Amino acid sequence: MTKPKLLLLVVFLCCSSIIWAQSIVTGKITDSKTGAGISNVSIIIKGTTQGTYTNSDGAFRLEVPKSNSSLMITSLGYSSKEVAVSGATLNITLEPGNSKNLDEIVVVGYGTKIKKDIVSSISRVTSKDFNNQPLPSFEEALQGRASGVYINSGSGKLGQALNVRVRGISSISADQQPFVVVDGVPIVSQALGSSDEPDNPLATINPDDIESIEVLKDAASSAIYGSRASNGVILVTTKSGKQGKSRVSAGFYTGWSKPTRYRKFLNAAQYREIFDTAALHYRDSDLDPTSEDPLVGADEFESETGTNDWNSTNDVNWGKLAFQHGAVQQYNASLSGGDARTKFLISASYNDQKGIIVSNRLTRGTGRINIDHTINSIFKIGTNISLTQSNNYRVPSDNAFSNPLQLNAIPPIQPEFGPDGKLNTATIYYNALIDYEDNNKNLSKTARTISNAYIEATINPNLKFRSQVGIDWNNLQESQFLGRRTLDGAPNGYSYSNQVTASVFTNTNTLNFNKAFNSNNTLDALAGIEYQRGETNGSGVTGLAFPSDRFTKIASAAIISAGTSSETSFRFLSYFIRGNYKLNNRYLVGASFRVDGSSRFSTANRYGIFPAVSAGWVMSEENFLKNSNVVSFLKLRSSYGVTGNAEIGNFSYRSLYTAAAYSSVSGIITSQIGDDKLKWENTKQFDIGLDFGFLKNRISGEVDVFSKKTKDLLLDIPVPATNGFSTITKNIGDMNNKGIEVTLNGNILVGLFKWNVSINVSTYKNEVTRLVAPVPPGGRTLGRLAVGAPFGQFYGVKFLGADPANGDALFADKDGKPTNDYSLAVERVIGDPNPDYYGGFNNHFSYKAFDLDVQCQFVKGGDIYNIAGIFQSNNANYFDNQTLDQMNFWRKPGDVTMVPQPRLYTSNGDQKSSRWVQDGSYLRVKSVNLGYNIPKSILRQVKMESLRIYVAASNLFTFTKYTGYDPEVNTQYVGNINLGHDFYTPPQARTITVGVNVGL
Amino acid sequence: MKQINKIFLLLILISGVTSCKKVLDTEPQQSIDASTALQNDQDVNSLIIGAYSRMGHPNLYGTDLLLMPDLLGSDDVCEWRGTFTSPDDIASKAMDRNNTDADLIWETAYDAINIANTAIGALGVVKDADLKKQLEGEALFVRGIMHFELVRLFALPWGATADNSQLGVVIKTDATKNEVDAGKSYPRNTVKEVYTQIVADLTKAITLLPEENPKRVTKYTALAFLSRVYLQQQNYAGARDAADQVIESGYYTLNASVNAVFNNKDTKESIWEIQQNDQNNAGTANNGMATFYASLPGIGRGDVRIDDDFVANAYPTDDLRQTQWYYQGTGARPNHTYCAKWTSFSQNLPVVRLAEMYLTRAEGNLVMGTTVGDTPGNDLAMVKNPLRTNSVAPANPTLNDIRNERFIELAFEGQRIHDLKRLRLPTGSYSWNSPKLVMPIPQREIDATRGVLIQNPGY
Repeated sequence: MTKPKLLLLVVFLCCSSIIWAQSIVTGKITDSKTGAGISNVSIIIKGTTQGTYTNSDGAFRLEVPKSNSSLMITSLGYSSKEVAVSGATLNITLEPGNSKNLDEIVVVGYGTKIKKDIVSSISRVTSKDFNNQPLPSFEEALQGRASGVYINSGSGKLGQALNVRVRGISSISADQQPFVVVDGVPIVSQALGSSDEPDNPLATINPDDIESIEVLKDAASSAIYGSRASNGVILVTTKSGKQGKSRVSAGFYTGWSKPTRYRKFLNAAQYREIFDTAALHYRDSDLDPTSEDPLVGADEFESETGTNDWNSTNDVNWGKLAFQHGAVQQYNASLSGGDARTKFLISASYNDQKGIIVSNRLTRGTGRINIDHTINSIFKIGTNISLTQSNNYRVPSDNAFSNPLQLNAIPPIQPEFGPDGKLNTATIYYNALIDYEDNNKNLSKTARTISNAYIEATINPNLKFRSQVGIDWNNLQESQFLGRRTLDGAPNGYSYSNQVTASVFTNTNTLNFNKAFNSNNTLDALAGIEYQRGETNGSGVTGLAFPSDRFTKIASAAIISAGTSSETSFRFLSYFIRGNYKLNNRYLVGASFRVDGSSRFSTANRYGIFPAVSAGWVMSEENFLKNSNVVSFLKLRSSYGVTGNAEIGNFSYRSLYTAAAYSSVSGIITSQIGDDKLKWENTKQFDIGLDFGFLKNRISGEVDVFSKKTKDLLLDIPVPATNGFSTITKNIGDMNNKGIEVTLNGNILVGLFKWNVSINVSTYKNEVTRLVAPVPPGGRTLGRLAVGAPFGQFYGVKFLGADPANGDALFADKDGKPTNDYSLAVERVIGDPNPDYYGGFNNHFSYKAFDLDVQCQFVKGGDIYNIAGIFQSNNANYFDNQTLDQMNFWRKPGDVTMVPQPRLYTSNGDQKSSRWVQDGSYLRVKSVNLGYNIPKSILRQVKMESLRIYVAASNLFTFTKYTGYDPEVNTQYVGNINLGHDFYTPPQARTITVGVNVGL
Repeated sequence: MKQINKIFLLLILISGVTSCKKVLDTEPQQSIDASTALQNDQDVNSLIIGAYSRMGHPNLYGTDLLLMPDLLGSDDVCEWRGTFTSPDDIASKAMDRNNTDADLIWETAYDAINIANTAIGALGVVKDADLKKQLEGEALFVRGIMHFELVRLFALPWGATADNSQLGVVIKTDATKNEVDAGKSYPRNTVKEVYTQIVADLTKAITLLPEENPKRVTKYTALAFLSRVYLQQQNYAGARDAADQVIESGYYTLNASVNAVFNNKDTKESIWEIQQNDQNNAGTANNGMATFYASLPGIGRGDVRIDDDFVANAYPTDDLRQTQWYYQGTGARPNHTYCAKWTSFSQNLPVVRLAEMYLTRAEGNLVMGTTVGDTPGNDLAMVKNPLRTNSVAPANPTLNDIRNERFIELAFEGQRIHDLKRLRLPTGSYSWNSPKLVMPIPQREIDATRGVLIQNPGY
């Protein structure tokens, strides 16, 4: 793919002699009511992305090419204006008005558009929405702000992947996460690490570098990304320099965090009480079930643990030992500026988060240089270069005994420290704190660059060519050491070293045609070719047996117990075109068409076709509404199109043999039988939406209704294992998602005391419509797939509490009647992890120099299944410490309780059932930010542009009936069908920060 | 300007079209495509090594085929104390249709059978005649013993009906070549048909396999398995003669120490063992014999606890096996009795060893009233004698003497439930032919075949 570069050079040489005529415009922008200058007003030359901002007095200076004659003036809190350049000086007044600006420039695939002209559904969040928030990863900024985007952080562990679902769930075995593009570069968003809980490669991106995040939701906006777009597309645009005075801005914040909730477990006295009772009612299940064979708690405890702790005075709150006080610091600085020809932004930041779980820490250092340069009237070049180094001190998988949250299973009667003063190793379950003593560590280091360079040629005023090369180079190094006292490091130490490099190279060439035929007809068209090459390679070594715990590197290991290297790759070749036509400023039509070729499919099915059409009608431009005092803006729009999902295995269609080692020789085995007819999963999506603004846009909003039909889902269908293979990947499933999204923005109060509100509510209703056979819940989980049911529906036995007569656990049988025989209980629908609706409620208040942001986020519905209940809320079946509610156990005939009689070693309600399913609805005050801007009059004396000090809080309050740690939970080791499962999963952090921002 | 437009468009088109075809071709790096996988002697030999690797998988001899039969027959011998529910259900005869271990044994055994069948189908490319014979013998051996393990676990035992017409398992003798083959459903054959196939495969393997084949199976491994098959069918003469051939081959001798076969690799006592090392073994955390059996510092979960009464009463007092094969745990779940046969993650796993052959020949001779090879008394004394075990065998042993010796000599090597079933002895309160002692056909198989496979009684 070096040809495009060569051709650019040729063209460059041909055209560089053409000269571009410029003129300089200066002026001032003032408030129409107060007459004061307005700072930070965006001034953009229409039809370009070139422009500047006003200074603190409202003044500006801009070089304008002669051929362009109007400026787009936009500012938060004011109505936008389009002003013709009539002379060298322009004095402009702005009317205070709508906050959500219809003239906002919105980033779309391979370009930008004015919001007013958009006929598709795009959610947009900009830097001012999430500035100064300690975000573990930038996607969290979308939570509660972007309608149609459901985010579940899953766990309070730092650097873990988040669940991001745009308009429901559109796949089963292929990826469900949206496609992420940073400044036009598709990036690696899949986990690279070796843990069974995915890490989050997006956590390496500095949220402070981001200008805006656009989520392309409907087919009209996303189909231009074709086979990658079924899960929605997230476009991240980084900040760039603006023409005008050079600006320095610097920020610092520091903060403290705690878990949003601790759970209560039994203390020593309660523990002895319940287990004494349990021992007394032990029943030997192998014998006659009615014969009782009483045991003594103290004896059994001694037999199981080999300790005399039952008789000790210990009363340890083990559950709390998993946590620490977290902290966060961030330092960031940027320099930006430019003139008419060159614009630049240089930024650097360092962020250090100490998590709330012992040993968990994430640091991130980033640097960025964004430069755009206009060479002459034809050529413009630019580059964005970013570098990140991130260190994540990780916490083991939820399902590992070394997960600190599993400490809550250790009885309170066991001491934290042994007689030698070191952490106690004689606990009934592994004392996970040992994983964090001495030289033990679990560190994932990431070095990453997401960079691009482009050249743009304005061939004539209507036609532009752009060629961009982008690269995402992401290197992960995992190093782990566990000493001989640890569970996994015993007997002589364990060390693991793994490195993975994933890179994606993209070359995009587009031709953009933009022409107003007369004042009533505008055509905007795009054609392009994109080539993408992804490569992942890695190598890892495991070493065992070290001379002492002071040696931690594999060089010192006596046994190299495992070693591996691997490589895989994929390629995409794509062609796309798009056209948008606008008639009379009110009728809008658009169409796009993309052809994607992928190496992931056999030659016969290599290419997929992804078209989309859209239409919009700006009703407020019609005569019958044009002069309305109530309706300021009204647009009806609709779109339909096809997108795909190609995020499947690189070689799923093939039949393969892999190596299989047998001691010191290696052989081959059949590893996969493939279906070479495998094709793209595709989603047909229909969307109808209404954008509106009332009362001079004091109230504005959007309503969208969508229907997504996904067909030919790739599924591993079970085949008879007698043929040597248990599954084949085939296109065999269909699924629908339907939903409504409503966003309402209002300027409730204007004037000195300002109050803006933005509310969004979204729903999605998922339904699986075709499968070969239901996919039943496996093992301890409840999530299943069945035709007619939503994705991941909870399916299992219904628990009915304790039999008042005898304390037996009761379950619903086939008629729904109680039975104490689990084998007679019948599985049925017992919950749905998908939310009924979700959204956010955001307030912005300002009074004089003070401003206050309060952002709330909520989820209604969304059941949670706490798998750990099998162990921690099982009325003392084994010696795990129990949750406090277990003290309501059945004691005597007549007791009505949901907690059956404790019976040691005896199943009495500890079987998988609805017993641990709860409503996961919650309302969370996600972020609060109170700031004070030091008045300009003072700042001028010290030559500062701005100075803001603030105090902020994230996850300040959570209101929920869920009794686990955190209703925003999704343990990840159980796979993606098992949504809403909790298994010793840590909660989110509540963080309070104070900070300062300085502008020079 | 117009010219430039044309040049641009033309160049864009060219750059797209010329790069189109080949750029989308990528090859996997850790795998090879099935269409080119088996082309010569080395490839087919590799596939057979792959079959060994499969048999060493924790779902087969790596763990499950050695552990689960003893859990099924665990009553008064050992207890499952671990947290995994699937082995717990097996030990307490409370398996359900979705028992994980039953499912994994079934799937992996048929995977090994398919590898064997694929190798047989690919023998045409093998040029070296001796190698070809050996590979065919090995493939038939794998196919034979996998069917044997399956039919013993997933069907009512031999003899449960007079004509053994009870449902056995699916006999698979052809390779799965493509996705259409992979989707086919086959019904269960009868137990009798399955045994006939097993005997045919092993008998043919015996004629093809070499006498020596380091770290792999030989003619005598196949004979040793054939003696097991015959014994399971109460074909005592056949069992006796097959065992006799193994003993008389002269390739094997009993070790001086009873522990040596477990602590060392490829000792003379071992007829066939699964090869393991530090890198390649059945597992160190959630799988592996030592993982479940051992309770040593840093090794094992102490999940299988041995009944003290069994150790104290089943072995003669001061028998070396009593002291050397059992110990008090010092790791997980300490201060209880554990079996010392399985104490290292990387140890080889003996599947058939010479002691069994002596006991089989002795039992066969005693039942048949013959002395093929040697007298039952002498054979028993080979296993139980002052030097090896610090105990003395009776000069004229009864059948019970020999059978009891078998239970204590082969304890925790995966033989117990099979011996109980062929001797029609109960385990706990379950009689030898109880359906509770038969694993369920995995529900996923019944679903995947849309009911072509019929479930075992009681599930």
